[in-house]
Parts: sequence; structure tokens; C-alpha cells
Amino acid sequence: MALMDRHPIAPPPAAPPPHPIPAVPIRQPRLEAIEGGAATAPAPGIPFSLKRWLESGIGAALLGTLSIGAVLLVWYLATRYKLDVYIRFGNIPTPLDVWHSILDVTRSDKFAVNIGISMRRVLLGFSGAAIVGTILGIMVGRYRIFRSLALPAMELFRPIPAIAWVPMAIMLWPSNEVSIAFITFLGAFFPILLNTIHGVESVDGVLLRAAHSLGAKEKDVILYVVIPGALPHIFTGLAVGMGVAWVSLIAAEMISGQFGIGYFTWEAYSLISYPDIALGMITIGVLGLLCSKAIDLCSRLAMPWTGAAAGAGK
Amino acid sequence: MTLRFLIRIAALSAAVLFTSPLQAKEVVTIGIGTQNTTTNTVTGGIVIKELGLLDKYLPKTGKYANIDFKLDWQNFTSGPPVTNGMMANKIQIGMMGDYPLLVNGANGQQSRGNETQLVAVIAYNAFGAGNGVVVNKDSPYYQLADLKGKNVSVPFGSAAHGMLLQAMQARGWSDDFWNLVSQTPEIGTSNLREKKIDGHADFVPFGELLPYRGFARKIFDGAETGVPTFHGIVVRKDFADKYPEVVVAYIRAMMDADDWVRKNPRLAAEQIAAWTKIEKEVVYIFLGPDGIHTLDPTIKPLLVNSVKTSYGVLQKLGKVKEFNVDAWVNDSYLRAAFKQRGLDYDAQKRTLANYDIQGKDPICGKTITRPKDAGEIWIEGGDIVPLSSPVCTFMGIRKYQDAGKKIAVVYLYDHGLGIKVFADRAFYAVNGSGTKLDVVPFLLKKDAETSAAKSGGTVATYEQVLAKMEK
Repeated sequence: MALMDRHPIAPPPAAPPPHPIPAVPIRQPRLEAIEGGAATAPAPGIPFSLKRWLESGIGAALLGTLSIGAVLLVWYLATRYKLDVYIRFGNIPTPLDVWHSILDVTRSDKFAVNIGISMRRVLLGFSGAAIVGTILGIMVGRYRIFRSLALPAMELFRPIPAIAWVPMAIMLWPSNEVSIAFITFLGAFFPILLNTIHGVESVDGVLLRAAHSLGAKEKDVILYVVIPGALPHIFTGLAVGMGVAWVSLIAAEMISGQFGIGYFTWEAYSLISYPDIALGMITIGVLGLLCSKAIDLCSRLAMPWTGAAAGAGK
Repeated sequence: MTLRFLIRIAALSAAVLFTSPLQAKEVVTIGIGTQNTTTNTVTGGIVIKELGLLDKYLPKTGKYANIDFKLDWQNFTSGPPVTNGMMANKIQIGMMGDYPLLVNGANGQQSRGNETQLVAVIAYNAFGAGNGVVVNKDSPYYQLADLKGKNVSVPFGSAAHGMLLQAMQARGWSDDFWNLVSQTPEIGTSNLREKKIDGHADFVPFGELLPYRGFARKIFDGAETGVPTFHGIVVRKDFADKYPEVVVAYIRAMMDADDWVRKNPRLAAEQIAAWTKIEKEVVYIFLGPDGIHTLDPTIKPLLVNSVKTSYGVLQKLGKVKEFNVDAWVNDSYLRAAFKQRGLDYDAQKRTLANYDIQGKDPICGKTITRPKDAGEIWIEGGDIVPLSSPVCTFMGIRKYQDAGKKIAVVYLYDHGLGIKVFADRAFYAVNGSGTKLDVVPFLLKKDAETSAAKSGGTVATYEQVLAKMEK
């Protein structure tokens, strides 16, 4: 959790460009020279580079498939041959067991309903966290007094794990659906808050002074300078927060007692049905991955000026 | 705690110092999965641990001369985590209620090398008492049928879940009679308190504990199903085959724990309450004389049949695969333990007797002969006084209160279901008055109403009966 609070790559200081720049392909040498990026552009004349191809869209998809395929293969081999080298795979369900579970659950629409309900709960908690976390983050990052006033109290709640909140959540909220959304909200809230604070603080002072000297009011400074400047960090927070919201799902859905993929996994535990537990885990993993991808997509749409450059590692 | 820890460290280092020149012993760790809060399993778990009853019987000769057994006690709030630990071979000896036991046995048989064996029973009730359905004390529900169309929660896969399924089958109720959801005891209790759930079914001790703590009322007792319920001890088959003497030793330790409870039930209840944080009055209603559960290690045919019944129920729901119950039950270790103690196993297996309330009623001056008519008054910080009838019990309550004594709890027997009840939570069919007053206690309002209608009496609560005693 703490590791995820900070984005490892400092994004480039982003200011709204004075006039629109035509979209340029990212590997254009001219741009690289300006950005001071590593000159990895191939010398002209080499028609094909494996590295470049792997960095392209198709290559990335292939590598992703390879990564997940490797996990499946290791899982299959380890359970097939009951690997026992300190880690013991003797009783872990095999991919085939889980496949049978999948066939079982797809016979009725119950499983789809579980997924739908969990999605609703996570999105509810997450949107709440996104709104509250961003607003509070901007306030804390922008106003020193507010920071001293609010941050310590919020930091106090940050280390408390989702599962510990279960009994209190039941007592606090009028209905169990709200209690569940509240627990996913808590999971998402802190990464969003901290990243937003960090983003607001890292907005270039020169830009702020420039805006002030041009007579911008506080509202305009926040809308046109602070928020766009902090956006890369805010989106990092949203992506991490989305992940943590899914992490807290089992704890949250222990309350529900009948629906949701977290509940499905929990019930499988109480009936000691290992393939179903694995299926629940995998489903949560896949849903979390899809949601993070969606956030990623939104961030590209919201920040056209960063293009795809932010993510393009060298 | 710290002192004991220091002593242990000292002992360990001394042991290391003195034994190192000798042959190093093989250390075998025995994982024991207990359920301390599930009160009727305590003689199979925490009592053995706290009183150190196992060390005396652990074999130390022959092939065991070079083995040092290390006990690893692991406590859980329900059965499934114990089964999980057993499948992972981190727990070799585990204890749980009938439904989790069934899941445990079936899982073991499905997974080669992880087979388990039912080697002993800890405690049982021949009619299913111990599991129950509770509602919030302010709610208008007084019997199971009142929960039609309501939200009812139960820990899925627990003995209480089994009780509900039996009750539904017996009444011919379909799955949509109510909205049944799965909640652990912790969550179900919180929800009941907040009135977010209409009813909550649970296993030992929650059916008694929640009413005792004052925010719930029991409206259904497992005794109404007539299907026995019990908690038992399972061991991993590979462990039992390798160290059969250890399994026998464990059963002997449990029999000692049973004797310890029966010798001084009041003291035992106080001790167990201190160890498990379940109130002594609740411990006593389960394990005291003529309590809700009978401490008896023998595996009785009626209990094995109840497992088979449960298996049928779960199989219908598609929750459990193939399971051969008879191959899973193994009473050879029990028989060995009985033989070592010079007891007749088969005779004990045939009897359903519990130990009885005895003594002389100080209020009415009678010797107690009919335990199921008796009552008990527990005076706060003092003794438990046996009484010969409900009326004598109420006279006693008045008398002790007038003498300025504080009463911790009063027990009576439901005259329909035959189970021990908290007097202040019961309903009474009252007949006559003055010296001819007759009071018949019932757990359920409807039973009291039926009885009163039959005898032309009235239904009264505990307070109303006490008020009649003003004379």
C-alpha cells in the first residue's frame, strides 16, 4: 500500500500548451531532442528492429499474453506434478478443476449476477472515493492550514485494514449495501487522496506565479493551472485506488451474505471448495485488471497533451 | 504470561544445554485446531491445553523414546478454517460441529493422502438442541413461521445451517419461504443488533449467548427438529496410522477433562469463562448438570445416522461429493482408551444419560428426584442452589432477593423440549394461585399458550410470575 502511494516516475511538468501542437509520433527524433529523452531512435536505413516491434501495439499484446500464459503454465505444471519445494502445490486446485468450476457456474446466470453486483459496489465506492479524495487532496495540497487541520486525522485511518472495518461499517450505515460500498470507498480513498496531494504540490511555482501576475482569480488558478498540472498524479491515484477497492472486496462482501464475487469466494471457503475459491480469486483479478485498464484509457483521453509518452518506457 | 514465557525460555535453554551431548531427539509438532468460543468443544480443546492434561498420556517409550512432541494449539471461531488447516497438513487433530465434520470427511476422501477419521465425539444433544434461531428482542416474531418472506442469516456450512435445512424439509418449505443468506456469527450478531436482519440462526453458544447478553430472543431451538447435533474430533489418517498411541492419549486427556467439568461444574464454568470469554452462566447452561449438551466421547449409532441424514440434505443441494460415512468413522482409538481406563465402551455407547442435578432443595425441603422438573439459582459470587420444582424455584428467587442477595442467573427446564432454559427468558403456563399455584416453564411462547389453553390457565412472563409470589 505504502509503496503504491507514490508514483515512481515523475511525470513531465505539464502546462497547457500555448497553442495546439499537431500530434507527433512519439519516436520522432526532433521531439526526443527537446525532451532530452534517451536517443533510442534507430539509425535510418535499418528496416526492422525487434525492440521497436515489441514496443508496438501488437508486440505489447503478444508480451501480455505471454506473461499471463507463463503464470498459467507454471500453475499447471506445479499442480500437475504436485511440486513440493518448500512451497507445496499438492492440494492446490489444478487449472482443469477451475475450468470445471467455470463450467458449473456458467450453467446459471447467478455468477454473472454476482459479478454485476460486485462491479456496482466497487464503482459506487470508487466514484465516491474519486470525488471526495480529489477534492480533499486539492484542498490539502493547496492550503497549508487545511493541511495541518485535516491530514493527521485522515492519516490515522489509513493503516486500518478493510477487514477491521467490517463490524463498525455494519453499525455505522443504515443499509448493508452502503456498508459494503463504504469499505470499498475506504480502500480507494487513500491512494487517490495522497497522489492528488502530491500532484498539487508538484505543480511548477513558475506557472502559479505567472497565472497570478496575469490576474487570475483563485478559482481560475485551481481550474486551469493546479488541476491540469496535477492530473497525471491524480490518475495514478485513481489507478492504484481502483486496485485497492477490489482488494477490499472480500472483506466488504462478508457482510452481504448472498451476492457478489467476494461473497462467492468467502462462501466457497466455508464449504472448503478450493476450485471455487481459485475461481473467485481469478475473477477478482481479471475484474480489477479490466477496471485499471479503463482508468488508463480515461487518463489518455483526459490528458491528450501527454500523449502516450508518459507510459512509454525507454 | 511473561513469567511463564521466561520460565519456558530457561527450561528450553537448559534442555538444549543438557541434551546436546546426548542423542538429538526428533521433534514432532502436533497441530491441534480448537474452537474455544464454541462452548461444547472445550473439553476437547482449551481445557486440555490449560490444565496440561495431554502430557501425562503422551507415549514416551518404545518407538517414542526418541520423539519429542510439540503441541501447536490453533484456535478458530468455526469449523471450515480447521478443515483448511488439516488439508494443508498444518493441523493433525481438529474439532468441529456435525456439518463441518461432514464437509471435512468428504473433502478428505476426495483428496488422496488427506483422509481424515472421526475418532471421538466431544458433546452431543440427541434432539438437536444447541443450535437455535434468534431474533432481536424488540421484534414481533415468536416462532419460525413468523419469518416467512423475511431476511434470515446463518453461517453456511455450519451445524446451524443444517438445522435450518432440516426444519425446512420437515415443514415442506421451499427455498423461497424466506431469504436465507450466509453470515458468520460475528457479522450476523452485529446485523441482528442493528435490526438489519430479521432472524439469525447460529450454533453453540450463540443461541444462548445472544439472549443472555440481552438483545435477542430465541424463537426456535434445534430440539424441535429432533435430529441429533454434536461436535466431534477428527484426525488426519496418516497421522493416526503413524502415531495411534497419540490419538488414544488425546482421547484419554479429553475424558479427564470431562471428569473435571462433572466434578465441579460451577468452578469449571468459571474457569472456562475466564479462558474463552464466554460468560460462565452460558457455559453452565451447556455443560452443567442436565445441561443442553452431554459430554460423552462414544460414537453412538444415532449420531452416525444423523451424519448420514445431513449428507443426504447436502447432497440434494449439490454441496458435497461422494462420501462414505462408515469408512470415515473409526472408534478403535476410543475403544483402546476405554480399555486402558477399565471402562466398558459398548455399555457407554448404548446410554444417553447425562449427569444429573442432585441434592436437597433448601426452600421446599425435598430431595431432588426428577431433574427435568428441577431448577437452579446461581447466587452472584456464591453457590448454585438446586430446587425441586419451578414453583420452589420462584419461591427461592423471592426469598434470596428479599434477603438482599444478588442473583446471577436462574435455570429451569422447558417441559416440552426438555432443554435447560434461562428462567428470565422463558414463558410460563400458570394455573391456580396461593399454595395451589402451578408454573410450567417453556422456551417458546406458543408452547406456553398451548399448555395454558389445555389446562385453563394463563401465560405469564418471568416478571409476572415473580409478582404472583408476593404473597
